[in-house]
Amino acid sequence: MKPEKLYLTEAGLAKLTHDLREAGARVIAPVLATESSSNPVADYREIEDAGRIALGGPLPRLSLKEFFLPPTEALLSWRQVKGDISLDQPSGDYPRTVVVGAFPCDAAALPVLDKVMGWDYRDDPWFGRRKATTIISRACAVKDSSCFCPAVGLSPDSLKGADILLVPVDDSGNNHLVEVLTPAGEELVEAHRDVFESPPDEGKADELRKAALDRASENLDIEPGAIKSWLESNFEHDVWADIADRCHGCGACASVCPTCHCFDIIDEPEGIDRGTRRRNWDTCQASLFTLHGSGHNPRPEQSARYRQRVMHKFAIYPKRFEEILCTGCGRCSRACAAGMDLPEVLRTLDQLASSSEKQTEASSTGGVG
Amino acid sequence: MRELQELSSKLLSEGDVSVVIGYEEGPRGVRPAFIRTPEETNRLVFDHRAVQNLAVYLSPRRAHLRKRGRPAVVIKGCDARAVAGLLRESQISRDDVVLIGVRCGGVYRDPESNGPLSEENVADRCTGCDLREPGHVDHLVGELPSEPPATDRRKSRIAGIEAMSPEERFDFWSSELERCIRCHACREVCPMCVCERCVCEKTDPSWVESSPHLRGALAWQITHALHLAGRCSDCGECERACPAGIPLSLIKGKVNQVVEDRFDYRAGDDPDVPSPLGDFRLEDDQEFIK
Repeated sequence: MKPEKLYLTEAGLAKLTHDLREAGARVIAPVLATESSSNPVADYREIEDAGRIALGGPLPRLSLKEFFLPPTEALLSWRQVKGDISLDQPSGDYPRTVVVGAFPCDAAALPVLDKVMGWDYRDDPWFGRRKATTIISRACAVKDSSCFCPAVGLSPDSLKGADILLVPVDDSGNNHLVEVLTPAGEELVEAHRDVFESPPDEGKADELRKAALDRASENLDIEPGAIKSWLESNFEHDVWADIADRCHGCGACASVCPTCHCFDIIDEPEGIDRGTRRRNWDTCQASLFTLHGSGHNPRPEQSARYRQRVMHKFAIYPKRFEEILCTGCGRCSRACAAGMDLPEVLRTLDQLASSSEKQTEASSTGGVG
Repeated sequence: MRELQELSSKLLSEGDVSVVIGYEEGPRGVRPAFIRTPEETNRLVFDHRAVQNLAVYLSPRRAHLRKRGRPAVVIKGCDARAVAGLLRESQISRDDVVLIGVRCGGVYRDPESNGPLSEENVADRCTGCDLREPGHVDHLVGELPSEPPATDRRKSRIAGIEAMSPEERFDFWSSELERCIRCHACREVCPMCVCERCVCEKTDPSWVESSPHLRGALAWQITHALHLAGRCSDCGECERACPAGIPLSLIKGKVNQVVEDRFDYRAGDDPDVPSPLGDFRLEDDQEFIK
């Protein structure tokens, strides 16, 4: 489908937000969590009016993941009356939601995760929320040294996972070129045609997009395919002990990650005759994650746990689903109290991969000669 | 800086230690460094960005680090409080480690900061610091810089919470703790969290619910604060590590203040001074025993 292009002004966005809410939708957008101008912090939150939207950044602390796979959710509740046990399950109805101003690295994570969520069983809460949600991404102008979306095949204006893409057309960042990308996006535009203008004023859109891509590309230049091959054939390697020395194993990286999706399921009694089964975020960085009932832990050290995080993202998931389990958002580096840095780790692995390729070439050339 | 690098180089080349744990330039400000050869010691830095408490790497929970040999650790005065805590509680032996104390002129709240220290960017714990020159160390390096600027930021925030009614206070902490995702980063970076298996990881019975609902988050944070009463070294790493931005050092600061008021005790750098919970005195306040 060729994207339809429209134009949305600041006033148009305000009216869209208002009208979406009038129509009963929940509107989620990045908003500033603190007033501090020296160190602004943002979160994705439900908004009541467009005045609070922080389109230009910073990247929200947590990704959009929390709206599709909440940190905790009830799977069922039980109650026992004498011998009878009754179960209550959530209705499976999820509120109609529109995300306005999703960062492309967060939107891109959703279709990546659809693959695992629909793999060995169909994760109904995940797909229920996916179906109820329309994503309006906004081409990203924010970039610091931790961003690396181009290195994992994305870009600051990636369309992946978005139903509509907004591209700023001027330095104010408040007026946007609108690209309608999916039937869900078309439906939204049709229902709110009056807020969009046509033909679009493309302004500096192309220039701003290119500048953002150039900036993000500078941060990291790797061959993910070569890293995947190297990881697959170098499971035991001294490099992990050195990489993981400083890592606390705290798992903050997994919490803020748009693609880390592991969870734990636990039954919590809430009285003598009732309780709730919940699923909660979990992380392979915790030693408890792989602790067996026997007391044996196949990943007894942080180096093995950090390796698992990188392996899952850059070898295991790509092998199974042909997707890198990373969108290059850089949150893991920003959140790390110990200064662990995924771009730096990937650079190290890329060098190991390319030097082992050279060795292979040299030995095969030697064999021929 | 040169003094620190030369000392580290000497310790490594003479085989006293296998690794020097200090600070280096990282991709986002200064970060912990693990230096294993004399040639690498030129990476070591120390300045206002040396925020992290490296004593955490001595914890018995970091057995994998211990296996790689005896460390020397660069510590500021505030970090020396955590080292003293580990020694006091017999979590480490004094011979396990070489302590390189650095004279300190204060640190930022955030290792990515730059520019002169100011009331706005200085770490809360630097105000009134009486340990700018850590004691009980094996080596002491650097000149004593001037005192860091003072801030009453944390004190006034705690006073603000104290002034609230119980309902307001509950609402305040509820709104903060409902962001808690129970990742337990606050625990993993805590040098005094030495338990091999944390009480909130026990499942039979489950003493502390692991779910990140308000009930679970409150139970965990109260547990953490109480387990640190009289033990907390006030390094602030729990708050800095929190990906949800919960002001955890307000809780720890308040508990530390209560311990000081009740027991005339502040965590110090001397491992031989017993902590209130590790000691019994007849004159201890006993009004709570009814």
